[in-house]
Amino acid sequence: MIDLALLLLQEGTTAHPEPIGVFRFFAAFVLIMTFFSSFLGFTYWISKDE
Amino acid sequence: MPIGNLDVPVIGKNVVIAVLVQTHILFAAFIIGAVLIAATSEYLGMVTKQPNYERFARNLARFVVLLFASGAALAITFVLALVTLFPVFFSILQNIFFWVFLVEAFMFLGQIIIVYAWYNVWDKLAYRKSLHVVFGFIAGFFGLMAMTMIDAVASFMLTPAEVTSQAELVARSFLNQTMVPLNMHRFIGNFSYAGFLIAGWGAWRYLRTTQDSEREYYDWMGHFGLIWGFGFLIMQPVIGYGYLKGIRESAPESFNTIMLGPKAWVFNLLVFWIAVLSIASTAYFVHKLRFTVKPMETLRKLAVGGLGFTALFTLLNVIPADADLIPQIGLSFLGGEDTSIPLGSMYPWKYIGLIGLMLVGFFVVALYLRATATGFHWGRASRWSQYALIACSVFVVFTMVTMGYTRETARRVDNDPGYLINNCVPLDQSVVSEGCPTEPIMKAAE
Repeated sequence: MIDLALLLLQEGTTAHPEPIGVFRFFAAFVLIMTFFSSFLGFTYWISKDE
Repeated sequence: MPIGNLDVPVIGKNVVIAVLVQTHILFAAFIIGAVLIAATSEYLGMVTKQPNYERFARNLARFVVLLFASGAALAITFVLALVTLFPVFFSILQNIFFWVFLVEAFMFLGQIIIVYAWYNVWDKLAYRKSLHVVFGFIAGFFGLMAMTMIDAVASFMLTPAEVTSQAELVARSFLNQTMVPLNMHRFIGNFSYAGFLIAGWGAWRYLRTTQDSEREYYDWMGHFGLIWGFGFLIMQPVIGYGYLKGIRESAPESFNTIMLGPKAWVFNLLVFWIAVLSIASTAYFVHKLRFTVKPMETLRKLAVGGLGFTALFTLLNVIPADADLIPQIGLSFLGGEDTSIPLGSMYPWKYIGLIGLMLVGFFVVALYLRATATGFHWGRASRWSQYALIACSVFVVFTMVTMGYTRETARRVDNDPGYLINNCVPLDQSVVSEGCPTEPIMKAAE
């Protein structure tokens, strides 16, 4: 697990040559999934009683 | 720079735009696809008199009406974020695409009006069904036109048109080199994406319901969604190839980056998602062929063979070209870039994999549609077949996100600099003085 974390934080990315780039990639992914599933779930919740 | 260069703490401003746009696309693509699928379903209900089509169309229309708010709110928030965080870039886009944005705004307005009208007059036009179906298709048309407008902008950002005079700026920029293939790719993708989500939704409801009549309906819904999802997915390799060909000819460095270079892993990831979608869909078809009203054992055996070939071809697609898997995080083995993997090369193996996947896909869908014509016993599907549908709905979202990332990262060849408009406007929103094919952008900056 620690090895994987160290691997993920290695430098050399072309997106951002810093570990922050890798962090931001995953942050964006988590945020997209969170927003999408929340809005979808909310829409289902307001529609299901009819 | 006349306007302050704002940044966002921790996640950075690029992530803000990416999150808002990608989430918006996930809703917008679903809405466009779902409206057209619902309108088609309503039409099929009118023609065949089967109640499932009508019930499905009406429920989906209601869901789309409610979902519209989320999609629209994200679009507005995205534009606000873009104006705030990338004001110079936005003003350049506005100068070139003013008319395109204006048309898009009116198409969006038209879509809202017609979608709401379509749902609200469902009972009122019950005896003028043909007219009501037309409402649905017009709503879908407006959505497609709005998508076409924004595709012109998105494709221009990767492949800016060669423009030498102000007079030809708008027309040439609109019809830039990758606009048409991107639009076709997304047109087909809308149906596939919405179809898979509908299938997953039906499966989830199937697993939760306890009434037999409801189980039959949701079993049918999963089947109907998957026909759209997988049926349109298997067209994508050819259309996607056309799009990539356009990128290769107009922005070869970007093509090399995402297909052969340091970002080739995103395409491996993409074909992995497609492998899951294809295998899960074909396995579902094989399972479903056990429940045909008229036994069709030969068809089922052929479909089992199709499943085997699907697995074989998708496996061929996911083999990487070399042992340098994800160079950005140092994920490489056995000598990395220097170790090429024989079955991972683009020619001939990936072509064989993609073409084979398409042909087998068409074959299996044809078998399944043949069986569909005679009917199924609904409500008897196994839990595992429904898990396959749910897996499809999850992995199609991953596919959309991965493709969105791929197109945007293609403008960051070596990140020195990364571009907002390829070779014209870097991420710092300055305008490059040479190399930009759209000359009016450079002249305006002088």
